Amino acid sequence: MAKRARFLLIPIIFLLLTPAAAPGSRGPTDQVRETVDRVIELLKDKEMDSGKRRQMLSSLIRKRFEFRIMSQQVLATNWKKANPDERDRFVTLFSDLLENTYMERIEAYTDEKVEYVNEKVRDDRAIVETIIVTKTADIPIRYKLVMKGDEWLVYDVVIEEVSLIRNYRSSYREIVMKDGIEGLLARMEEKVKEMNETSKKAEK
Amino acid sequence: MRNAFRIFPLLIALLLLSSSVTGEVPLKKEGQEAFRSSVADDRKDEAGQGGDGEAEDEFKDDFEDEFAEEEPLIISDPFEPLNRAFFWFNDKLYFYLLKPVARGFRVVPEPARISFSNFFSNLATPIRFVNSLLQLKIKDAGNEFSRFVVNTTVGIGGLFDPGKKWAKVRKKEEDFGQTLGWYGVKPGFYIVLPLLGPSNSRDFLGQIADGFIDPLNYIFDDRELEIIALKAFEAVNEISIDKDTYEGIKRQALDPYAFIKNAHTQRREGMVKE
Repeated sequence: MAKRARFLLIPIIFLLLTPAAAPGSRGPTDQVRETVDRVIELLKDKEMDSGKRRQMLSSLIRKRFEFRIMSQQVLATNWKKANPDERDRFVTLFSDLLENTYMERIEAYTDEKVEYVNEKVRDDRAIVETIIVTKTADIPIRYKLVMKGDEWLVYDVVIEEVSLIRNYRSSYREIVMKDGIEGLLARMEEKVKEMNETSKKAEK
Repeated sequence: MRNAFRIFPLLIALLLLSSSVTGEVPLKKEGQEAFRSSVADDRKDEAGQGGDGEAEDEFKDDFEDEFAEEEPLIISDPFEPLNRAFFWFNDKLYFYLLKPVARGFRVVPEPARISFSNFFSNLATPIRFVNSLLQLKIKDAGNEFSRFVVNTTVGIGGLFDPGKKWAKVRKKEEDFGQTLGWYGVKPGFYIVLPLLGPSNSRDFLGQIADGFIDPLNYIFDDRELEIIALKAFEAVNEISIDKDTYEGIKRQALDPYAFIKNAHTQRREGMVKE
């Protein structure tokens, strides 16, 4: 069971977060690579206090992820039905949820290696294929990015053929069918609160 | 005894398979439109874009596929209440039995635990080998064969994986469920098996068929208990290496059952396509 669900073992989703650096000819892979190096550096810095590290990682994440497009894709048809206020709330909650989740995963990082396999770019979209080499397995991860200004921003992560967006989309659709958008937002709010409490406990 | 034990599930599986329904009902491409319009909105205030003309057809097709908005997965789950019951059972089993045992097992140094994992994985080579052949993936079958030879000799009976380190030959997971998929068998409906976790009617049949190839069943022929003990040991060992993956899902998913159902289905379909 645990073995099958390895796709969540990947904190490395974060390794995408690049600092806003000088624009130029940095392709998506370069941006990914820079980030990987930076984040690993942060994680290896044992001196740093964990609260501060989380803060730094958090601000990086928010710069790098295109949460609005992600939210749109997750809600799909329900996005069209939602009013602007509901949309904004969803984006906020969804980004909190993702951030919390992966913050926990990333701290389990030990000494996995990241290999860059392939890059495809067309117009304003790109795919960067990487492999995370752990001690017992190789885990393929594909990042889907969209160009905004000079930065490539992530709008989906495909881990071992499992797309984050598709995964959330189907389970959230079921919830919206049962309880409507309000019901979904309420459950997300509860979840985020719960997660914040546990992470506060962990920091003490 | 052994034969009866094998044939019974096979019959069930055949029944399941014969009643297999299509696992996916394509809906309209709802995501694509949303994406297009959102990107278009965002681009209004940006400078023009530079399309780099026509790439080669082959490359372009590849891209079309890659960027095509996937259909939402509709997973057939007629036994959901039963599945949820087994999911709950597995969940409790994990938290109250397997996990504590695995945590205790961490007193064994990690390199040793990784070697156990390599050993089991090497032992299961025939399953990957036969299924690669059945899918006419001759190169993969050759890889599996050479990995087996190298890892069994140089890797001391499979405890180490020099095949990966030196020869850069990576293991590729293949099983009979994927073989069936390769020949066009649809996944059918989703099942959660007690102890074994998520599966579907096609893969369940595959799991039984792979049992006939699994060397463990021949080494310990007719000694169910030893096999079960070894499988349990393997599971505990894997969990001891794993970094709380399942806990992570449980903590963040609004509905862990649905989350795992979807992820498992996507992953299996991806593996079939490879």
